[in-house]
Amino acid sequence: MAALRAAGAALLRPGPVVDHYENPRNVGSLDRNAKNVGTGLVGAPACGDVMKLQVTLGTHRGRPFKTFGCGSAIASSSLATEWVKGKTVDEALKIKNTDIAKELCLPPVKLHCSMLAEDAIKAALADYKLKQDANKESDKKADNA
Amino acid sequence: MRAALRRSWLVRRALREAAPGRAPAPPCWSCGVALPSSDGPCFCPACQALQPPAPRPDLFRLMDCDRSFRIDAEQLQRRFRSLQQAVHPDRFGQRPPKEQYYSEQHSSLINKAYKTLLSPLSRGLYLLELRGVEPAQETDCDATFLTEIMEINEKLAEPKSEDVLEEIETLIKVKQEELTREVTAAFERDDLQEAKKLLAKMKYFANLEDKLKAKKIPS
Repeated sequence: MAALRAAGAALLRPGPVVDHYENPRNVGSLDRNAKNVGTGLVGAPACGDVMKLQVTLGTHRGRPFKTFGCGSAIASSSLATEWVKGKTVDEALKIKNTDIAKELCLPPVKLHCSMLAEDAIKAALADYKLKQDANKESDKKADNA
Repeated sequence: MRAALRRSWLVRRALREAAPGRAPAPPCWSCGVALPSSDGPCFCPACQALQPPAPRPDLFRLMDCDRSFRIDAEQLQRRFRSLQQAVHPDRFGQRPPKEQYYSEQHSSLINKAYKTLLSPLSRGLYLLELRGVEPAQETDCDATFLTEIMEINEKLAEPKSEDVLEEIETLIKVKQEELTREVTAAFERDDLQEAKKLLAKMKYFANLEDKLKAKKIPS
């Protein structure tokens, strides 16, 4: 009986997915045209969810996200912003959707939500890198002038 | 991961293709008389017992529609009503439990068929499924389109004002009509890949429509 009750309590305890869904970290937006802001905007055609994740230099500015979709998509992107924090671009690129899914205990039908979060990180970092390279180019030109 | 999703889709497709739409009908479960194959609910000509629905029937055939994206909504509704009239569980209260069970199965199948064929999005996706085209799964990165969807979502998330909601409602309606026209044209050209792309876009607007409806319900 006691064992049963313990099992029941474990089932009822909100998992990390509920926590991230109810208290999403780092919700917000940055100016996507700013030179030091990388924006990843991705969508899931199967469920119509959209996710925007942004990265910028320096941890104090945070890595905001906005997701319109199911609870798992919101939780995945919230966790993704937490994991990106304090990482270099190369480290952040190593974040895998399987790790997000594992941390949040996502069921198989919700695995694509973690995939969306991984793709959002990659898109944001690609945009960030592109802008950094463009900045370097224009700095070089300025030096040569 | 993507490979796993694709595998599960392939398995489902193989299962579907293994079962042709029109298999020879089994004999009557009640009196054993041989039965003709039929697209809709079938009653035994000898003992009038309702037969079980065929496994995985073609919903277009069930609803007496051509297998096409263009459908006649009025005709679909008439067929829906006449089918429900014939097999609705309310008519089987005095019949054996087996027939009551079959009538429930028929009734829910007819509801599903009607819903699937009525909405352009689900009708299009079902047509693609019948043609063996895998639904879009890859992440979308079309920045212009996604920005538009994001902005409508953001507007919808703001505290509601009647004017803004009305404006969004019109916008969504216009976009959906436009997409429906484009999907119709794509299917008529038999350009299934284009239809798949357009239907993926339609899904985002269908979500927005659901959110808008939820928002309009007075809380």
